[in-house]
Amino acid sequence: MTVAAGLGYALIALGPALSIFVSVIAKRPFLVLTLLSSTLFWLVSLILLSGVWRAFLPVKSSASWTYAIVILTSVSFQEGVRLIFWKLYKRLEEMLNSFADRTSKPRLFLTDKMQIGLAIISSAFLLIHTFSMVIAFNGYAESRKSDQFFVPVIHMVASMMTLINLVPGGCAVGVPLLCFFAFVTLHYCWRTVCRRLIEN
Amino acid sequence: MFPPLDRGFVLFVVCVLLLVDSFCLVAGEANALESVPDLAKAMYLNVEGYPCVRLLNLSAEIGCSNPGWKKIVAPIFKLEMIEKPVVNSFAVLVPLEEFESLLLRVSSDPKLAERIAGVLVESTGIEHRSLGSSPDEKFPQAAFAPYLNVSFEWNPRGSRIMWNHYNFPAFLLSDESTKLLQEMAKQNEKNFKAYPSTVAEFDLVMQTTKAETRDSASCLKKQTCLPLGGYSVWSSLPPIDTTSAEPPKSIILVMASMDSASFFRDVSFGADSPLSGLIALLAAVDALSHGSNLSELKKQLVFAVFTGEVWGYLGSRRFLLELDLGADSLKGLNGSMIEQVLEIGSVGKGISGGVTTFFAHPGQDTSSTNEMLNALQKAGISLGSDNVNIRKADVSNPGVPPSSLMSFLRKNSSVSGIVLEDFDTSFINKFYHSHLDNPSNINSSSIAAASIIIARALYILASDSPFLDLIALNSIKVNVSLVEELVGCLLTCEPGFSCGLVKQFISPSNICPSHYVGVFVDSPFETQHPQYADDTSRFVWNFLADRTSAPQKNASPCKVGCHESAEVCVAAETENSRCVKSTTRYIPTYSTRLKFEANSWHILPANASDPSGLVDPVWTESYWNTIGLRVYTMQSSAYDNMVLLIGILSTVATYIATLVSRTFLLKVLKHD
Repeated sequence: MTVAAGLGYALIALGPALSIFVSVIAKRPFLVLTLLSSTLFWLVSLILLSGVWRAFLPVKSSASWTYAIVILTSVSFQEGVRLIFWKLYKRLEEMLNSFADRTSKPRLFLTDKMQIGLAIISSAFLLIHTFSMVIAFNGYAESRKSDQFFVPVIHMVASMMTLINLVPGGCAVGVPLLCFFAFVTLHYCWRTVCRRLIEN
Repeated sequence: MFPPLDRGFVLFVVCVLLLVDSFCLVAGEANALESVPDLAKAMYLNVEGYPCVRLLNLSAEIGCSNPGWKKIVAPIFKLEMIEKPVVNSFAVLVPLEEFESLLLRVSSDPKLAERIAGVLVESTGIEHRSLGSSPDEKFPQAAFAPYLNVSFEWNPRGSRIMWNHYNFPAFLLSDESTKLLQEMAKQNEKNFKAYPSTVAEFDLVMQTTKAETRDSASCLKKQTCLPLGGYSVWSSLPPIDTTSAEPPKSIILVMASMDSASFFRDVSFGADSPLSGLIALLAAVDALSHGSNLSELKKQLVFAVFTGEVWGYLGSRRFLLELDLGADSLKGLNGSMIEQVLEIGSVGKGISGGVTTFFAHPGQDTSSTNEMLNALQKAGISLGSDNVNIRKADVSNPGVPPSSLMSFLRKNSSVSGIVLEDFDTSFINKFYHSHLDNPSNINSSSIAAASIIIARALYILASDSPFLDLIALNSIKVNVSLVEELVGCLLTCEPGFSCGLVKQFISPSNICPSHYVGVFVDSPFETQHPQYADDTSRFVWNFLADRTSAPQKNASPCKVGCHESAEVCVAAETENSRCVKSTTRYIPTYSTRLKFEANSWHILPANASDPSGLVDPVWTESYWNTIGLRVYTMQSSAYDNMVLLIGILSTVATYIATLVSRTFLLKVLKHD
């Protein structure tokens, strides 16, 4: 992989997020600060999670169902943390966007188009998290159960879907499905925003 | 807007996916890598290969090197692809039989050389031993000959390829690597013009290429290279008693050399040339050491094993120089007392058709050399078999074959010396200085025969009496299993230096013996316990010290030195170290044109008193950082650029999308 390809994969993974940052967040210093604080919060949640899971390592790679349990508990924990973060944020009473970066996966996959696959998965998860945050905070603010229910479900399903990649040739199915989910989340977010604007 | 349909749709998709997931959890497992090093190992494959390195002399460079600072990356194709002009620069996978002809073509055709990014030589399974190949010259080291006929072809198969300059890296592949790379070349041919292709990455960056120092003088000055050299060993049987009041005895010097070379730096067993001579010498010392009346011999036997002989007779020249200077390393040896010199050359191929024949090449035709020849012939007869012959070399030969004796003759043409070889007018060894000169090229019985002949001949010469003690003569026997063990230890990788005989004396740093002389790493002042002597030198020193000493009871263990000056510490690196009375010393061996001063090497001007030094090329080897060869799959650059383009486009598209949606929302808000 040459430098050009490496840069290309990085841009595929983080470019959309970078664009959103530059066009929406960068202009407002307060948004930048809240973005940084929420990133910190997310990282802390991941560290706590890995600390808990350290007791159960190393995970035997032959048993895929152990990965399912890891994902189950991780996602549940993160959704719980999301709720806590909302409660904390509510005290600030501001609208914000947040970036979450999933940094530690407990496994790596090797297929022919591994780098492309990873880049697209990173991008999709980034967008899912971004838009999920908007939806979730909206759900908490308005106490709409459908919104509050939608986000954890989408998060859980999208994470479980990455297990499809463990099957040989699974990436060809898993990655497009993930992109589809990112699109679903985006669409749902867009609808929520439109609804809010119409109500106002 | 349309909540129920949307929600229902999402729920449906979720259910489908959970179903799929449950199937997947039961399905099989793909490759599981668990860490980044695992990933690196799966992507890059390190290939086992033996390099050819850059060597320099006073006027030029030889050998192979990367042409610049960087690693060379090129797709792997078979030699036939060179005929297709479409393929520009690639790594050539060449079978062993065509290796020499390819290199000869490359030397004469610069356009061809440009198309070769690197050379990978297969080690074919079928031994093409009938033709033989030798990368050396037709008259090796002709400049050092003490006679004028330098066009005599001692080595008729010599192709000279190891003395040419190549601007690309070259590696000899091991057997497993050969199969692997043949597969990859075949795959590349199938995918020709369609990526991904398998590329080879050559790391053979030489310091002298980076520093632009193209000859020994400049590279030694800039310290981008080191001179070739090592540690020769000499020993005397019985040990020389310097305190004795008796007049010194005249000396019979027996010599052999322990270094070989080939096109590839680390694969040079040199089984026939010259290690068979070394093994015969060691076995002869062993045979003589069991005699009971050594101190009654009229002449002193001195055994010398030289290194660096391939690269300008470094060992023999250094020996003669230090003998003149009366240096520490040769203390106890009086050069003027050397009466006769017997050199043991290649003796591994003396048996053909059940008959053992060795040829004695005299330096001069004098009464002294005739006496030596007689002793050899008597020794041959004493074996009691009709099938052993010692013949004088053909008179049509211009003189001695390439050998250490040439250094002695150039210095003093009246030296009485004989070189014992298994050939007459040209080398029988078809693989002179080739990496294929391994034990399948020699016969250990030939070495054993040579060794017993030499031992008995030395006894005859050293006893120097008109009445030959036949009983004592016939009691000198050679240990044939010792000869075979030495062949296994010094000339093969299994057992190699892990054999018992070697481990008895040293703790070797490598298992596979390599007889390339190597570079002189240290300062050349240590003769008792040099730190950087290579495994072969240390083994020879310890073996000779052990065999030339009298057996002792209550030997005290030692680490480095012994209390008494006449004693040395044998097997110092092992647990069985002991102090023995022996005269065995190292001779730091490097060119007589070099001097080590102020922590660097300086080339001395040519001196008429050192005739061999006038023609010495002063060989040095370039410094190098790492040498390696690995293969991996690579995509075409078009693919990589496309990925970059997609990344840029998706970034820009998202930016535009956010701008568009923001203006749309603002418009919507304005409408409210």
